[in-house]
Amino acid sequence: MEISEKTQYVSPENDFDEIIRVEHLSKNFGENTVLKDVDFSVRSGDVTSIIGSSGSGKSTLLRCINLFEEPSGGRVLFHGEDVTKVRNKSAYRTRVGMVFQSFNLFNNMTALKNCTVGPRKVLKVSKSEAEDRALKYLAQVGMADYVNARPSQLSGGQKQRVAIARALAMEPEVLLFDEPTSALDPEMVGEVLSVMKNLAATGRTMIVVTHEMAFARDVSNKVVFMDDGVIVEEGDPSQVFTSPKEKRTQEFLARMLAEKN
Amino acid sequence: MEKVLTLFRKYGWWLAKGVGNTMLIAITGTIVGLLIGLAIGVFRTIPRPRNKFLRVLKKIGDVLLAAYIEVFRGTPMMVQAMVIFWGFALLNGGLTLDVTFSAFIIVSINTGAYMAEIVRGGIMSVDKGQFEGAQAIGMSHFQTMIHVVIPQVMRTILPSVANEFIINIKDTSVLNIIGFTELFFQTRTIASKNYDLFLDYLVTAAIYFALTFSISMIIRLIEKKMEGKKNYKVIGSQNMDAQSFAKELS
Ligand SMILES: Nc1ncnc2c1ncn2[C@@H]1O[C@H](COP(=O)(O)OP(=O)(O)OP(=O)(O)O)[C@@H](O)[C@H]1O
Ligand SMILES: [Mg+2]
Repeated sequence: MEISEKTQYVSPENDFDEIIRVEHLSKNFGENTVLKDVDFSVRSGDVTSIIGSSGSGKSTLLRCINLFEEPSGGRVLFHGEDVTKVRNKSAYRTRVGMVFQSFNLFNNMTALKNCTVGPRKVLKVSKSEAEDRALKYLAQVGMADYVNARPSQLSGGQKQRVAIARALAMEPEVLLFDEPTSALDPEMVGEVLSVMKNLAATGRTMIVVTHEMAFARDVSNKVVFMDDGVIVEEGDPSQVFTSPKEKRTQEFLARMLAEKN
Repeated sequence: MEKVLTLFRKYGWWLAKGVGNTMLIAITGTIVGLLIGLAIGVFRTIPRPRNKFLRVLKKIGDVLLAAYIEVFRGTPMMVQAMVIFWGFALLNGGLTLDVTFSAFIIVSINTGAYMAEIVRGGIMSVDKGQFEGAQAIGMSHFQTMIHVVIPQVMRTILPSVANEFIINIKDTSVLNIIGFTELFFQTRTIASKNYDLFLDYLVTAAIYFALTFSISMIIRLIEKKMEGKKNYKVIGSQNMDAQSFAKELS
């Protein structure tokens, strides 16, 4: 049944696999226009990397998607519903998880409690189910041994892995990552990237703002290049990385490559 | 020394009652004051509502709370006690409110004004990321406050709260003005009977000091406890290091 549905032609208006669609999104902070007429969509199972230089509006785009920032114009559709209009942001945010550059683990809770508090208090699942979930996802990120540790007792990489487990424990449909490895010491970047790679392999829908070009190229199936508040170019990673169409993309990638060496 | 013993023998019961009443009001007043302060902190940090009507309500609430805080911090508690006690009597056709209950109300409201500012400082010192982390998993403002922010605020403001408590132990003495039988009031009564003013007040000073000093010590102990366990146990024997874990996944 599922297969036959998938093989059917779906018009963009009626695409059941589409989870998020951003339409004509704009955002100003006072006089400062940070996003201009951004259009972009995410289908189930997509791993989308958003790349671009500092200040190009990547974080702002991500924060508009989960409504941390109120868009100045345009729409954010979640399964076809305009979420910028909904009164109850909480319910929507349980469907769209977020992982931050600075982890933002709850300092007053152990790793386990960090992962159970959302399911218990927001989703109202039972204590035992919340703990089962938490342990399952902590194991998935390799942190099952640290259930009793407090954030202050963990390394950056470990904190970020717990933060990923916390987001997963809500069982969201989409995970947003805002530079999840940028605050980490170099030797810890690998462990977090491999967790993310693992998630991508299991079919998680993810939107990842990143400066890790290797991740964008090798793990994601779509790359979005932003510059100065607009999406300059988007497409298949192999195409964007090997033969970028736009001059600005070429320059950016050349710069990133130069930095790496 | 002989005289001190006589004082206790004769008026020990009176002093004990004074200590009891002083502590009763200091404790309940501080706790309720803290609750008032926390409630105000939760209200003041409500994000700006989108609905225009709610926005106006919130604004009015903010102004009223600011007025409350300024007025109660800007006037002596002794004067507040008189205004509240006799103001109520006036409204009530000359009938005064129970003195102990009045004392409790006055100290609570007065402490609430100070606590509101202490809590505000505490909330401001919590990292913005803690709020966003909570909102990102769908917590409401109230849930964020209860589960994430206030537990962290309590930890940072504990010394200031303890300080308010100690101040309250001493400052309840002004409530003798409405005839509340706290320690100072009792001492004054005793002094009017035995005329040994110096000794009476000296003993009372010693009692006040013993109270506040032992509270300080207890608080310090609690603070030490709250710093928490330094270590955690890693569960399981084959605890992987990060590199081997990364390798296993890729
Ligand atoms: N709350 C805010 N108020 C005012 N200006 C803001 C705010 N947040 C972001 N900006 C501005 O918006 C622009 C885009 O910021 P944004 O954080 O989205 O960039 P970014 O692409 O994520 O950059 P980086 O790679 O450094 O994280 C910047 O010029 C920034 O100064
Ligand atoms: Mg950013």
